[in-house]
Amino acid sequence: MRVRGTQSTRWQRVPEGYRDLVPPEAAWRAELAGRLRQVCARWGYREVSTPTLEFLDTFQHGAGPGIQDQLIKIVDGADLLALRPEMTVPIARLAATRLLPEAGGPLRLSYVAPVFRVQEPGRGRMREFTQAGVELLGVAGADGDAEVIALAVACLAELGASDVVVHVGHLGFLAEVLADLPPSQQEEVRARLYRRDYVGVAEVAGGAAGRLLRALPEWHGPGALEKARALAASSAGRAALDELAEVVELLEAYGAAGAVEVDLGIVRDFSYYTGVVFEALGPRAPVPVLGGGRYDGLLARFGADCPASGFALGLEVVMSLVPAPPQARTDVVVLVDRASRTRAAALAAGLRRAGRRVVTAPGASGPQARALAVREGAAVLAWWDGEDLWVEDVATGRRERGTARWLAGTLAARAAEAGAPWGH
Amino acid sequence: MGTLTLAVPTGRLFDDALGYLRRAALVHTLPDERSLLVDAGGGLRLLISKPVDIPTFVEQGAADAGIVGKDVLLELERDVYELVDLGFGACRGVVALPAGSAATLWQPGRMLRIATKYPRIAARYFAGQGRPVEIVHLHGSVELAPRVGLADGILDVVMTGRTLRDNLLEEVAEVFRSTARLVVNRVSLRTRQDRLRPLMRALQAGVAR
Repeated sequence: MRVRGTQSTRWQRVPEGYRDLVPPEAAWRAELAGRLRQVCARWGYREVSTPTLEFLDTFQHGAGPGIQDQLIKIVDGADLLALRPEMTVPIARLAATRLLPEAGGPLRLSYVAPVFRVQEPGRGRMREFTQAGVELLGVAGADGDAEVIALAVACLAELGASDVVVHVGHLGFLAEVLADLPPSQQEEVRARLYRRDYVGVAEVAGGAAGRLLRALPEWHGPGALEKARALAASSAGRAALDELAEVVELLEAYGAAGAVEVDLGIVRDFSYYTGVVFEALGPRAPVPVLGGGRYDGLLARFGADCPASGFALGLEVVMSLVPAPPQARTDVVVLVDRASRTRAAALAAGLRRAGRRVVTAPGASGPQARALAVREGAAVLAWWDGEDLWVEDVATGRRERGTARWLAGTLAARAAEAGAPWGH
Repeated sequence: MGTLTLAVPTGRLFDDALGYLRRAALVHTLPDERSLLVDAGGGLRLLISKPVDIPTFVEQGAADAGIVGKDVLLELERDVYELVDLGFGACRGVVALPAGSAATLWQPGRMLRIATKYPRIAARYFAGQGRPVEIVHLHGSVELAPRVGLADGILDVVMTGRTLRDNLLEEVAEVFRSTARLVVNRVSLRTRQDRLRPLMRALQAGVAR
């Protein structure tokens, strides 16, 4: 095999913001996705899949006109379509139009899907990335919020992201503080909060509300809830804080409290969040590992008035945090030459049926096959010489003559000894 | 607990920023402007870089916090917490045209060619004003552009207005006001608060003085 190497012309490259995954990366992402699917299944969430493309109108209707700038758009005949920038709006559309009318109760849905967003070049952000997440439809208030957050904590634990903490806030508290401001200031202050411009917040919002908003980034950790309660003036603000306290109490019961922290400074800038919101932050990730919250108004926009909450996790962020373990090893490399090709094919097929990982080496010399075995992590090399099956231990070079049945037994014993590897 | 990394800009804000940090007793010896990474003692590490790169270092978490002009923040719109107005490095962003030309050039609907280091601020400002504009992105010596016919005018920061006068330019509009700001990475704000809070307190106290 000869490879001529440079990637100078366009047809050899991929566009900025997109990437290939080579075998260890693709296997690792699939493994992480598989673990998440298992956790979600244990919690009763069923996987759905929606089209990569939707009408542009669907996203604007669901997430508001502000979403426009983030969408990669495609003109398809007469239609203006967009690549999905997230999964919550497509699932809200699907649930409201097809699933909820027949559900007769809460719906628990999960997904693993690539999503697409316009990113400024040179900012180190991908235009395509993978989100895994859940949506819990039809369970209102603290019960729903606590279930979704506890599931998020369970997912993070299953992924091995042990130093990640879920920060939980409540937009209801924020809304109350904003309501204290003159109406003319509210929009401007909200915009500055979304931009995390707290100097700007202080410039616009004066008085007690301004001081409170300015201190928001520090309102987290033990005692934050009590501090906020002492200041909450209206019943709406108190109700939000009570709900947050209820969620925390439930999370303790779920055994998730150790990975959760109250954080009233969490501001999520999608226009559909209405109540409890949360983000998972870890010391080695520059961006949140996952984020979510309650969005009780979104389903109604698609024709089914229904409380809802959920989260989305960035699989590639997790990949950068959690080191991939060594890849699954191949069990045996089978040499194939012209004379033995049918016997070798039958041997490989039989071993694979027995659950072994088998790689064949057509036309390979002994040294080439040994090199392949080392690369594949295979401990055993096998080949036919006439009627005889030869087996070589790659590490010691020791050869033995045997039968296909004996080889299958030997490999099964080795596999049992090594334990189950990760992989698929 | 680990080291806290604070990004400090070279250039116009460097001396003020270091003086400020020294007064706040956060830095005891003054590092050279050409050094890149400096251990400032007390678990603080200074990352010294071009102003325009500081929001990137902080957004990506390579620095936990940074000192940077509001002008750079307005231009780059990065996802960082802007927490303290440090007060120094005050300047204004203005549109300036050749002296005496405002009456003909600064007319609504008149297409202008504007040279600037701030292409996005310029695009937003002129769009907001409903004025048609063609933007020429330069990285330095912006005030030269009208003199050599590259542009009709400029959008740039001014401190005293002397550079404008020296280049026979006059201000026709103020676009923004800028001072140095403390910005913080959105994850560090939560995960490193034990280290960041004292830093913020010290800097806020510095503002109050």
